[in-house]
Amino acid sequence: MENAAYIGLSRQMTLRRELDIVANNIANAETTGFKVEQLLVGTEVGERARNDQIRPSASFVLDNGVGRDFAQGALEQTGRSLDFAIDGEGAFFTVTDGNGEAYTRDGAFTIDPEGVLVTKAGLPVQGDGGDIILDPLQGPATVGTDGTISQNGLPVGRLTLARFDALGALSKDGDGLYRNRSNAQPIEATGAQIRQGMLEGSNVNSLVEITNLIEISRSYERMAKLIENANDLSRRSVERLGSTN
Amino acid sequence: MRALRTAASGMAAQQLNVEVISNNIANMNTVGFKRQRAEFQDLIYQNVERMGAQSSSQGTVVPTGIQVGLGVKAGSVYRITEQGTPAQTGNRYDVAIDGRGYFQITLPSGETAYTRAGNFSLNGEGQLVTDDGYAVEPAIQIPQDAVDVSISKSGQVQVITDGTPEPQVVGQLEIATFFNEAGLESIGDNLLLETAASGTATPGVPGDPGFGQLLQGFTESSNVDAVSEISALIIAQRAYEMNSKVISTADEMMSVSANVKN
Repeated sequence: MENAAYIGLSRQMTLRRELDIVANNIANAETTGFKVEQLLVGTEVGERARNDQIRPSASFVLDNGVGRDFAQGALEQTGRSLDFAIDGEGAFFTVTDGNGEAYTRDGAFTIDPEGVLVTKAGLPVQGDGGDIILDPLQGPATVGTDGTISQNGLPVGRLTLARFDALGALSKDGDGLYRNRSNAQPIEATGAQIRQGMLEGSNVNSLVEITNLIEISRSYERMAKLIENANDLSRRSVERLGSTN
Repeated sequence: MRALRTAASGMAAQQLNVEVISNNIANMNTVGFKRQRAEFQDLIYQNVERMGAQSSSQGTVVPTGIQVGLGVKAGSVYRITEQGTPAQTGNRYDVAIDGRGYFQITLPSGETAYTRAGNFSLNGEGQLVTDDGYAVEPAIQIPQDAVDVSISKSGQVQVITDGTPEPQVVGQLEIATFFNEAGLESIGDNLLLETAASGTATPGVPGDPGFGQLLQGFTESSNVDAVSEISALIIAQRAYEMNSKVISTADEMMSVSANVKN
């Protein structure tokens, strides 16, 4: 009997979480290399209260995952020689820190006082031979689309891109970093290209997000109405059926 | 509800973005100014349901998990040290650097500051100084009877005095380069200071490998591009509006819940 209110409530809880995720997408609409996320909502079939084949069992709403859309973001020209964008889906720059390797699409790099190519947080970027070291006296570094870095016409290293067979193995760590939580080993991404002097914008589509926002808000109201009606129904039945004279 | 704070972080980030853009636009005509860019990163994630967690007694596991992000933060605001266009001024003490390097300036405190703004003049003693009267390093002294001054591409300062047709060398301008130019600290007045992030300055002669050349009679314009700044401003404003829309939606939803009749 109380199922209607509980079903409404289960939907409202997932809607709140959807709102949190849409809010995060919108907050990161201008974040370099950000990938849009979506809550995956499914049906959770409730157990039948009694073995009645005619009445269908109640189905609740349950969120069972967050999906990430790894589609390419728009490339934006910055005019800075140490900004790199990846042109190709599902490929990542590899960086290292105290906790091992992390992966990022944010290619706004810089060099530290020792000439090592690092991210804005100071994490060294990995090439085919480990850290990449540049000599500032050899002029600006030029990077080819395959990641070959040359200074003054001479190659000094190669930026490599990592790719995973299953992108679901990656979890987000904040600061634009992804970590590998599975046993899967990264392989070299050969199809993706590196573009120098550009950064990849986020792939958040503001129109879609605003539409989601309206949809979430209206569904939430509808569910509130449903809960109200269910409550109303039980209150009235108590009033009518409960009168003894 | 996390959405409220998440959207607030988005609004704060866009506010910073607008501040950086407005500073770029305000300095559009500042000699030697390098535009800045705010770069953002996603904030931490909360694991609501860990990926790889068991989702049933049959041993199925959650493939993606539920990670809810908590907003955005400013990753860095960095200077884009792209070359500015040299603008002809005709002033003989204006010097632009074409390529890498910074002029070295002695601050009144004795510290050395670095600048790309080469709009120099002479002080009462004939010394080459900046707009604020700070001496250029190494000191260049122009004799009072100098008729003409010429500064070569490699920074050699020569004067021609009345009666002597041969130019005389009175000094050599030097410029300094850094490992990481973006790590220099701005202190205003077009001046920058060396930091641990920039690495120590390497002084050298202009025109040497790795150093830029000098152009006399020019100043380096700022590298701010008005069109791209204005479009960045529009994007920032719209992003700010969208975040405020999230806040009002979250607020509406909470009010709906609060007003359910029992």
